Amino acid sequence: MMIKEVITVILLVVGCFFFLAGTLGVLRFPDLFSRLHALTKADNLGLGFIAAAMALHIGSPWAALKIFSIWFFTLLASSTSCYLIARFQKEKDQPTDRKEVE
Amino acid sequence: MSVLIDIILAILAIYLAFQSLLAKRLTQTVFIFFAFGLALALAWVRLGAIDVAITEAAIAAGFMGVLFLDALRDFSPRTSNNQEKTEAAKDIFSKKNTKSLLLPRVALVLGLVLFLLISLEAIWNIPDGGGLTVSVETMLPESGVEHPVTAVLLNFRAYDTWLEIGVILLGLLAIFATGGIKLYLKPDVPAQDILLRQVILFFTPILFLFGAFLLYIGKSGPGGAFQAGVLWAAIGILLHLGGKPVFSMIPRWLGQLLLTLGLGFFLLLGFILMAGGATLFEYPPAYAGVLILIVETLAAISIAAALTAIFANLNQMQEKPNDIESTT
Amino acid sequence: METYQIYSLTSAVLFVIGLGGVFISRHFIKKIIATIIMGGGVFLSFVSFAERDALTFADPVPHALVITGIVVAVASAAFALALARRIYQLTGEESFTKDK
Repeated sequence: MMIKEVITVILLVVGCFFFLAGTLGVLRFPDLFSRLHALTKADNLGLGFIAAAMALHIGSPWAALKIFSIWFFTLLASSTSCYLIARFQKEKDQPTDRKEVE
Repeated sequence: MSVLIDIILAILAIYLAFQSLLAKRLTQTVFIFFAFGLALALAWVRLGAIDVAITEAAIAAGFMGVLFLDALRDFSPRTSNNQEKTEAAKDIFSKKNTKSLLLPRVALVLGLVLFLLISLEAIWNIPDGGGLTVSVETMLPESGVEHPVTAVLLNFRAYDTWLEIGVILLGLLAIFATGGIKLYLKPDVPAQDILLRQVILFFTPILFLFGAFLLYIGKSGPGGAFQAGVLWAAIGILLHLGGKPVFSMIPRWLGQLLLTLGLGFFLLLGFILMAGGATLFEYPPAYAGVLILIVETLAAISIAAALTAIFANLNQMQEKPNDIESTT
Repeated sequence: METYQIYSLTSAVLFVIGLGGVFISRHFIKKIIATIIMGGGVFLSFVSFAERDALTFADPVPHALVITGIVVAVASAAFALALARRIYQLTGEESFTKDK
C-alpha cells in the first residue's frame, strides 16, 4: 500500500514539473513555433504522468482505461490543433509556398 | 489546505475576468475569456456541481469561445490596421480623455465600489432558508431517475427545460432575423487539409458515442440532455469547419424537423398527459424513467441541431464588401 | 472560512467586474464578454448557496436553474454577437461611441 502511494506521488510531481516547464516555455519562448513545441510536448507528457498517477490511485482497470482514453484523445486533439496553428502561421509567413494536397 | 485551493481558484477567476476586460487586443480578450470559463468550471467542481461544471466547460467556455473566435474574423483586420489609434481611444482610462471625463470616471468608480460593498454585505448576511434539498429528496423515488439534478430538470421543473429549448430556438430565429438565413449556404472552404479531414472523421463517431454516454448516464449521475446536446453540436461544428456543412447536406424539412423535435415532442407529451387528467409534464411514476429518457434524447438532438445552426449561420454571416451595398 | 463563503464573496466581485466592464469597455465583443462575466457571478452565488444547503447531496434546484441559465445566457450572447457583427458590416463601427 505504502509503495503504491509513493509511486503515485512521484508520478504526480513529475507530471506537475512537466506542466510547469511547458508553461514556462509558453511564457518565455520568443516565437510561435517554439511556444507551440513547449505547449504540446511538455504538457502532453505532464498530462500522461498525471493520468498514470490517477489510474494507479484509483486502481480499477476500467477507470484506468477511461483515464488513458482521455489522455489519448487530448494527445490527438492537441497535436492536430498544434499542426493547424503552425501551418496557418507558416502560410502567413510565406504565402506562395504551396497548395495543400487534396 | 483545501481552503487554500479555493482561495487560489477564486483569485484566479477574478484576475482572469479583470484581464479579459483590460486586455489590449481582442484576441487576448477572447483567449483569456476561455481560461476564465475553465477556471469557473473548476470552481463548480469544488462546489460539488459536476453537472454545472460540464455544462460550463462545454457550452459557456467552449461553444461561446468558438463563436467569439469566429467573430474575430470580422473585427480583427480593422483593429490591426490602425490598432494604435483605436486602442488608445478604446478605454476610458486612457490618457487621451483624461480631462473631460474626470468627473464621470470618479463617479463610476465610486458607484462600483459602493455597489461591491453593498452586495458583499448582502451576500454575507443572506438568511439560511434551508433550501429545497429535503423536498427533492422525498420526491426523488417518484421521479423515475436517481440523479437529483436530472430529476429537477426533466421532471419537477420540466416546464423550465421545455421553455429553455424554446429560448435556444428563439435565439436562432433572432439570428436569422439579424443577418439573413445563411444556414443552407455552402461555405467556401479552401482545399481541405488531409490531416484535419481524417481527424474530424475519426472524432465524429467518438463524440457521438460520448454524447450518448453522457445522455444515458444522466439518469444516475452527472450528465444529461444539455451536455450531450453540446457534444453532438461539436460534431456539427467540426463537420462544418471541415467543409461538410450538415444543414446544407440534408434536405430542408429534415433540418427543420431536427430543430423543432425537442420542443414539439415535449409539448405533445405535456398535452397527452393533460388529456389523461394530470397537470402539464406530470409523468406517471411507473413510466417516468422511460419518458424522461425519450424526452432527453429528443431534446439533446434539438439542442445539438440548434447550436450547430447558430454556429453555421454566424459563420456564414461574413459578406464580401460588394454584397453590403445590395442588402442596404 | 467555509468553501461556499469564499465563492459567494467571489461571485459578488465577479458581478461588479462585469458591471464595470459593461460601462467601461467600448468594443462590442468586450461588452458581451462583460455581460457573460456578470452572469457567471450570479450563477456562482446560486451554486455556492446550493452547497451551503447540502444534506446528503447539494440542493439540486439551483444547479438545475444554473444549467438552464447558462444555456439561455449563451443563446442571448450569440444573438448579441450576431447584432454586433451586423452593425460592423453595415456601418464599420466597432462600438457605440465614435473614435475621435
